[in-house]
Amino acid sequence: MSAIAEPVPVTLPTPRRARPASALATLARRRAALTASNPRQILVPLIGPALLALVVAPALKVATGGLHSGIDYESFVGVGAVGLVVPLTCIFAGLSVIVDRHSGAQRELLAAPVPRSYLVVGNLAVALVLSALQVGVLIGLSALRGGVFHISAHGVAWFAGAVLLFTVFMYGVAETLASRISKEEEYVGAVPAIAILPFFLAGALFPISAMPGALTTIAKFLPLTHALALMRYAFVDPSGRGLHDIWGMSNVTAEAWLSLAVVALFAAALTALSIRMFSRSAVH
Amino acid sequence: MYAIEAEGLCKTYPGGVEAVKGIDFEVSEGEVFGLLGPNGAGKSTTVGMLTTTIVPTAGSARLAGHDVARSPLLARSVSSVVFQEAVVDRSLSGRANLELHTRLWGVSPQRAKRRTDELIETLGLSELTDRPVASYSGGERRRLEIARALTSEPQVLFLDEPTVGLDPRIRHELLDVIAGLRARDELTILVTTHYLDEAQRLCDRVAIIHEGSLVALDSPTALLAKLGREILEFRVDGSPERALQTLRQRRIAGADAFAIGARITVPLHHHAVTDALAAIEAEHLRASEIATRVPNLDDVYLQLTGGALRDAA
Repeated sequence: MSAIAEPVPVTLPTPRRARPASALATLARRRAALTASNPRQILVPLIGPALLALVVAPALKVATGGLHSGIDYESFVGVGAVGLVVPLTCIFAGLSVIVDRHSGAQRELLAAPVPRSYLVVGNLAVALVLSALQVGVLIGLSALRGGVFHISAHGVAWFAGAVLLFTVFMYGVAETLASRISKEEEYVGAVPAIAILPFFLAGALFPISAMPGALTTIAKFLPLTHALALMRYAFVDPSGRGLHDIWGMSNVTAEAWLSLAVVALFAAALTALSIRMFSRSAVH
Repeated sequence: MYAIEAEGLCKTYPGGVEAVKGIDFEVSEGEVFGLLGPNGAGKSTTVGMLTTTIVPTAGSARLAGHDVARSPLLARSVSSVVFQEAVVDRSLSGRANLELHTRLWGVSPQRAKRRTDELIETLGLSELTDRPVASYSGGERRRLEIARALTSEPQVLFLDEPTVGLDPRIRHELLDVIAGLRARDELTILVTTHYLDEAQRLCDRVAIIHEGSLVALDSPTALLAKLGREILEFRVDGSPERALQTLRQRRIAGADAFAIGARITVPLHHHAVTDALAAIEAEHLRASEIATRVPNLDDVYLQLTGGALRDAA
């Protein structure tokens, strides 16, 4: 071995870096591969909402006589179940971020020459695809069970916009929590507050106007309430009763745009917050 | 410009724990530089700051001239790191883990394939790469992580305690692999370890870090030379501090003699061992297990970091 007693200055070549689109695609492919290697992450979030749409909604329809507004109750709950499947999917995705931190390759990714926001965006892309698939399966199952959905290009656009923005918001919540909470057990303990409570308050199983006034007011501030009203406006409630319960305006299109703007605002805020929280918490 | 430069690098964690207290060093291209120290000395924190996964509290550092705080992406693009603990996607195959690295580091597909195949062969991973990493042994996983770090042809490679937790056979195999890297690609390596034989075997220069500060920095040969050609070591029944003080008063032991527990180590320098033995007998030091041997880096390290006892003597 030759000993170098003093360091020798040198000129080193220009570094090489991945293109942004390529780096993002690589990170999303990695997350997709990890998700595919754990099928429970795909199936478990779907079980509860599917049972809700296939078993609970038809039974409640028979027991209570359904809604008195001309809207098919099975379809109403079929869409409402989206308000459970998306949060659960995003919460599972957030859990995998904690697993990544403790026993995965997160530190390797942090040492990679890519902006750290890409790590969040790559995971979000996979959460979006997974949520879209699960929502498609859920609506499909609900339709097979007898739910009535009015599918049009206009309706699909509203529905897709609402699902997309609500998923972005929920993933932002999940990623932010994953950055704040160090242990998996503590994170799982937060699920009822994040995924279940809003589901019951946001009119997933009944119109928000059926709740006491104070709870109706609270529901109007939940992004899930706006997202569900938009989804129902798109597929089961063309007259926009759910949107009217929120806004009380006469122009349903304006109400729909307002609700979409609310969900978009929440989505943008939580995405920005989650990137900031991740970038801060990932390094010491 | 150096491959690695650190100037006054400090890290104080929330709660006031000073992990690194202003260290300075430079590493040349192609050099293997060792950072030695016990657990908690600040080695991994230093590597964390150099690889931008830990934010320095003060000071600066550059990799190939790129400031780690001002140009972190450029600094990361010229370096790779093998972390102390397992940092892999366990449910993915070894090859998938390698491909992830080449893509994120922007290696062209053709070059990545050639480089990956070459490293799989060199590091003996051919039979493993299609299996999930969860099924790998500790040594196999380490070899995969080293291969992964090299697929992007980094200018600077950080190896943080690369052999910790491995059995002796795997450890020696891995040391051979790391020694083999020296000849490749003008690669600069910073390796942290608390196994001093590893540093002696691998490194051109070593820095000894103790409680967050560098206490020595030189080639292993030069560090060893400071302790002379022979040391006397013995166990004392009684106060080691008093025994050390006695030998110093008789000028047999110098300031570099030290005691760890009941064992006293005395670099002999120009003294004959018979003089030292005569002094031990004359002072009735009740010594046992008396032996002489050639100094090694353990002695350098203990002499520099065993401050509490030495100062008490």
